[in-house]
Amino acid sequence: MARINYLALFLIVVSPIAQAESPARLAKRIDHSLQNEVFDQHSQAEQLKLAPRTDDLAFMRRVWLDIVGDIPTPEEITAFALDPTEEKRDRLVDRLLNDPHYGQNWARYWRDVIFFRAVDERSQIATNAMESDLGTWLNEGRAWSEIATEFITAHGDVQEVGGAAIMMAQDGMTEETTAEVSRIFLGIQIQCAQCHDHPYDRWKRDQFHELAAFFPRIAVRPVRELTQRSFEVVGTDRFGRKPPNNERFPTAEHMMPDLEDPQAPGTKMEPKFFLTSAKVPWGTTDSARRTQLAQWLTENEWFATAIVNRMWAELVGEGFYPNVEDIGPDRAPVAPKTVKLLSRKFQESGYDLKWLIKTICATEAYQRESRPRRATDGTPFVANVPQRLRSDQLYNALLTAFDDDEEKPTRRRGPRANTSQRGRFAEVFAYDPSISREEAVSSIPQVLALMNSPEIDLKTRGKRADLLETLISEIQQDDELTTEIFLRTLGREPTHEELEAVKSYREEIADRQIVFEDLAWSLVNTTEFQHRK
Amino acid sequence: MNTSTLQHVTSVATHQGHVIRRRDFLRNLTAASLAAGSWNWTEAIAASSEQLRSQGMACILLWMQGGPSQFETFSPKPNHPNGGETKAISTSVPGIQIADNLPYCAKVMDELAIIRSMSSKEGNHQRATYLLHHGYLPMGGVNFPSLGSNVAHQIGNAANQLPNFVRIGNRLANAGGGGFLGVDFDPLVLRSANRPPDHTKPLTDVKRYHRRLRLLDSMEASFAAEGGAQIVTDHRKLVESASDMIMSPRMDAFDLEKEPASIREAYGQGDFAAGCMMARRLVEQGVTFVEVVSNGWDTHLDGFNRTRELTAQIDQPMAALIDDLKQRGMLEKTLVVWLGEFGRTPRINPRAGRDHFPRAFNAVLAGGGVRGGQVIGATNDAGTEVTDRPVAITDLFRSIYYTLGIDADEENLSRIGRPIKLVDGGEVVTELFG
Repeated sequence: MARINYLALFLIVVSPIAQAESPARLAKRIDHSLQNEVFDQHSQAEQLKLAPRTDDLAFMRRVWLDIVGDIPTPEEITAFALDPTEEKRDRLVDRLLNDPHYGQNWARYWRDVIFFRAVDERSQIATNAMESDLGTWLNEGRAWSEIATEFITAHGDVQEVGGAAIMMAQDGMTEETTAEVSRIFLGIQIQCAQCHDHPYDRWKRDQFHELAAFFPRIAVRPVRELTQRSFEVVGTDRFGRKPPNNERFPTAEHMMPDLEDPQAPGTKMEPKFFLTSAKVPWGTTDSARRTQLAQWLTENEWFATAIVNRMWAELVGEGFYPNVEDIGPDRAPVAPKTVKLLSRKFQESGYDLKWLIKTICATEAYQRESRPRRATDGTPFVANVPQRLRSDQLYNALLTAFDDDEEKPTRRRGPRANTSQRGRFAEVFAYDPSISREEAVSSIPQVLALMNSPEIDLKTRGKRADLLETLISEIQQDDELTTEIFLRTLGREPTHEELEAVKSYREEIADRQIVFEDLAWSLVNTTEFQHRK
Repeated sequence: MNTSTLQHVTSVATHQGHVIRRRDFLRNLTAASLAAGSWNWTEAIAASSEQLRSQGMACILLWMQGGPSQFETFSPKPNHPNGGETKAISTSVPGIQIADNLPYCAKVMDELAIIRSMSSKEGNHQRATYLLHHGYLPMGGVNFPSLGSNVAHQIGNAANQLPNFVRIGNRLANAGGGGFLGVDFDPLVLRSANRPPDHTKPLTDVKRYHRRLRLLDSMEASFAAEGGAQIVTDHRKLVESASDMIMSPRMDAFDLEKEPASIREAYGQGDFAAGCMMARRLVEQGVTFVEVVSNGWDTHLDGFNRTRELTAQIDQPMAALIDDLKQRGMLEKTLVVWLGEFGRTPRINPRAGRDHFPRAFNAVLAGGGVRGGQVIGATNDAGTEVTDRPVAITDLFRSIYYTLGIDADEENLSRIGRPIKLVDGGEVVTELFG
């Protein structure tokens, strides 16, 4: 076994493809570039204050939530805090990227990106396959370009083929699928040109429909077998008789509707990629069309820029472009040279997402303490920005804090996935990760769920939850117990004021059990627990 | 605390308009009642529901997500091939016909004003849903409040323990919320009226619950001081709103079991029917704006059958809602609006469906000062063009604000200090009123 690993290592080191710049070195260049482009440009009138580097504990909780979507245990926290070595932050990032939960965490993220825009509830049937396939690809370190190609060229049963997710979510509709592929992989909202030339962009209505002309031959069809019902994405090159029941059927070529004369069949569109005007001839097979589009799209600079901007926005809290799904040549980024540099290097790395995360996590921009989101006229990147946890992160954090196991979901794939505890939790807490985080606000049902749900109560009530009961009986000293509960939930030690608050609460209430149940309940319900700082 | 004190405080809040936010108001109220040595919400809600709203006005928005076909609802064209298989039926108003899919609505036509000449340019679901909920298109950097939030902000009363804006229906993207007005004006979103709000019973006795809230509050301070100032403030407000809400006797509004069988029968079966019934109960309890969502109107294929299923879900409840409000004397002060993000193409596509068509579609209004029994605007025989009285989205929004007693030219300050009118441009559709 060991020999094989060495061999693999050797191959990576000498491989001619491996031209990626070292993340640590590039991170320094990125910070330098931000200094030049952003911080030095700041007017001298008021002093620009960069937030200091986070302490180890805040860094640890942040990087755990960002990479593996969970909080660290007190044992992990202690070990990290006591580690005296210089490079421990980089090493932690490496370790987390090699943890299988990395792939799972980000697969769930992309599941929400895709399925929040689903046109039909039925498409939920495809979420499990997508989560599992994408999780594997991410953990294997497959290039983002390859992953995008899987999504653009997929066909087959949506419960078996994770890449079919986007087409399933859009019910196989040509124009909707086109819009989603552009939004997700290029960050360009070309669908606004579907009905008229874009008012603020260069995109013309023709260009949208030329892009749609890569997808006229796809469809989503029901699969009816004896044992199960499912759906499949099909791409066909034979156009015979009309399918029954008014099912959507693929067409050989895409027709752009005539707005002036809705009765008319419309104009036959040539498959043409709007960013380069490269085209394939009419009559090209479905598979050749989609494969060609995947190649042109993933080679394009906006493909790299879109993912770089999105990952930066997720990790640093604010993107170079304010909207992760609305970038492109007509939008002005806050630090054009920096985002260009990072995008180019990402392309050179072979579209390596782990490399990208490693690089961003090594920047000072990432490692600064967090501050409230800046006002529109404030300077960007002077601090990290607190992010509300996504549903899966919050659910994982609750389990980890109280050392609980996830209720075993039913193993089968299918539409009942949502009846798991995690799925029910998501019904209340999930939000669309592509929208501006300012709009992804918390709500009364969420607050009520955390305060009053009996499932949460099991975790904070000492008598019924093993962990809390054990802690309360085993840790005799009140301050120590307070610290332990803080470490488990917020990943940090209590402040002096917080210790005092618990003390005075303790003086008020005689029953020690009740005091610490209430403390655990309170900490889970804090804004801090529900955010990553 | 006695009623007159509450009325006094209420009138102060109303007098100063929305300067006093609901939370601050409640805080004062709490302080006052604690000082008086009594803590009893049952007494504190003695104010009538009408006092909880300026001029007692309320609005119920019936939202058809996906873009309902005008041909299969309020603008049938049985004499043109574009009309398809949908027939027209007579209504309680001579000379006005609507689609045969809506027999119950036909009976309350004398209360309805149909606008057949709504017109916009947005044929994309997301952008059109945003536009028809905000009166504005999405614009980078400005977090516009939704219609319901603006209405709650303008005429909702601070003293109500229920949220002033409730949205009943599954995840509705781009329908918006409080925007730059803040979390106080976000809707309380319920997935379905058949599933009242979850988790409304505290896990402990009330005394311990309040103690826990106090402890929680002290644990919020350090994050508020570090990087979470605004989000902690918002979260504290939500915890407070949520706690007030679940302690309130007005929570009964969410309990449809309290409704007599005869009424439940009148509204009919299904989620939308339950939503309409709950909307009435909520308005009765002082809620200012309720949105009830019906999903699935994006009928690109098999449109006639699918639309028939959908109209069967909304026809009876919508008519029952109008009847019910009328019988209770609430219709005068409750505006009901039926709306979707756009209409559907006159051309029937090869899959027997219709595609997106924003150029000519329908809106229906009733109650709240609207003169019923009329049709405003018209399209040509083919349904492809508006031929009379085009109504823009801004015209519709201006009319809604007008009849609710809200000045549509009122400016709010966005977070970056830019003044934003409730509606930019447009004119009141005067035919709707008087």
